[in-house]
Amino acid sequence: MIARVNFLPDERSHEATRLLPYVMAVMVYLSALALMGSMVLHRSFSEWTEALSNRLTIQITTPDPALREAETADVTRLLQQTPGIDFIHRLNKVEIENLLEPWLGEGNVTSDLPLPVMIDVTVSRTMAVNLDALRGMMAGISENIHLDDHQQWLGRFVKLMDAVEYTALGVLSLVVMATVCIVIFGTKAGMAENRETISIMHHLGAEDSMIARAFQRRFMRYGLKGGAIGLVLAFITLVSLMSLSRAMMAGLVRLPDMPVAEGAVLLVIPLLAALLCMVTARITVMRGLNRMV
Amino acid sequence: MIHFENVGMRYGMGSEVLKDISFNLKPGSLHFLTGSSGAGKTSLLKLMYLAHRPSRGKITMFREDVENAARRDLPRLRRRIGVVFQDFRLLDHLTAVENVALPLWLSGGKGTEIEQHVEELLAWVGLKDRMKSRPPVLSGGEKQRVAIARAVIKRPDLLLADEPTGNVDPAIAKRIMHLFVELNKLGTTTVIATHDMEMVKRAGAARMHLHKGRLHLLDPGDSDFREEETEAGEFGGIRLDQKEYGPKIYGPKIYGANENEEGGGV
Repeated sequence: MIARVNFLPDERSHEATRLLPYVMAVMVYLSALALMGSMVLHRSFSEWTEALSNRLTIQITTPDPALREAETADVTRLLQQTPGIDFIHRLNKVEIENLLEPWLGEGNVTSDLPLPVMIDVTVSRTMAVNLDALRGMMAGISENIHLDDHQQWLGRFVKLMDAVEYTALGVLSLVVMATVCIVIFGTKAGMAENRETISIMHHLGAEDSMIARAFQRRFMRYGLKGGAIGLVLAFITLVSLMSLSRAMMAGLVRLPDMPVAEGAVLLVIPLLAALLCMVTARITVMRGLNRMV
Repeated sequence: MIHFENVGMRYGMGSEVLKDISFNLKPGSLHFLTGSSGAGKTSLLKLMYLAHRPSRGKITMFREDVENAARRDLPRLRRRIGVVFQDFRLLDHLTAVENVALPLWLSGGKGTEIEQHVEELLAWVGLKDRMKSRPPVLSGGEKQRVAIARAVIKRPDLLLADEPTGNVDPAIAKRIMHLFVELNKLGTTTVIATHDMEMVKRAGAARMHLHKGRLHLLDPGDSDFREEETEAGEFGGIRLDQKEYGPKIYGPKIYGANENEEGGGV
């Protein structure tokens, strides 16, 4: 039964556009990498800054061990009396050695290496602590006491985070623009290839929108097919990269897991690619047909 | 039905291939369009099936002015016209059935209904065994019959045929002409462009003669027509009415006509 006549020739015989799905696959691959890379980095940065934003590190570097212990006791007392301090933890020798090992190598932290006293302080998120006053009081105990609130490092980190995210956004925009250009080019080539068919359909009374629908359906399929291929390749690449970087960065930096919920957004990319192809093809065809009689 | 008034046509910036064309086709009339190669027959048909805009003049079709009609209005008008192209213009990737079904499908016909009509008509034009064949494997005559079936399947208000019997044997030609005449009797205004003067003479219908881009309308009784005429208008078993009219020449006399008749359609 003749339910619907597909008046455009089979896609496989379309020399002008049959490779388009693979170009779309590359575009979706790049988009997915840019988007996922941006999401992973965003999550990493957020976790790192979150971990440091309510933490203080106090180092006491006084060379004389007895004096250092006395100063440590004074500092601990001062912290206990300061409102807004939730938790005070003095790192033991093993913990300090574990921190140094990735930088110095295993077994290189010898007993004659002078280690400072390190106190990890967790500050309340609900109550502000006057760090300047705290710093002043600690300076009164000893000039060898250093309070680090990580703000300088965090500030640079946030700038880096912004730069990386804007770069990813830029890459994504370029890929979208390139995709639109490729689809326009492909659609025009497809129209030129099917000029005679379009002309016949016009003579038989086909409306422009009917002809445009045939093209937009075809380009939507290209977008979906290319999008699916690109997404699978991007997923394989991302998983491989995450595993590789986790193995290489073990101990230095804690890498976050793949953001599953945000990652689900990637599944929408082939649909967006299909939609982009469809809309671009429709506009291109309608404009092209409008120039005909 | 179809009214041309001082119509001129040119391709691009070239000189006019049709000049001061004026005529009026009444509903249900049958006309032959004759003229030597390059006289402008195909160009005139292009204007009539709305594939080209006139460079000047006024065209009224189905009571609508079409010379400056909006593009969105053209498909509706084109669906009322059946065209048999000289070069068939079939879609090579579709079967004969699908090619013939296109006009019905474009008009929103139902699948089963379309198939039944198409198969009946294809069987009638002698292509019962070639329904699922695609144009590249059909002979010239078979393609022509598919093209004719496509043009008439929807019983158009206006049927335009450019050399419709040029590639078929006399028996099939007679059958095709019979089909055209039957359609014409049912009210389809028909214009058949042809070089086959024998067919014109036998049909005895009014004749539109193009010479160097200018049109001369001749009735069967016209003097120059009578010179060529042999037997009264019996064709394919159908006898056409003939009336005696004096010669009529529409449009100005022929001056410096252009021989060109080339160019794109849409």
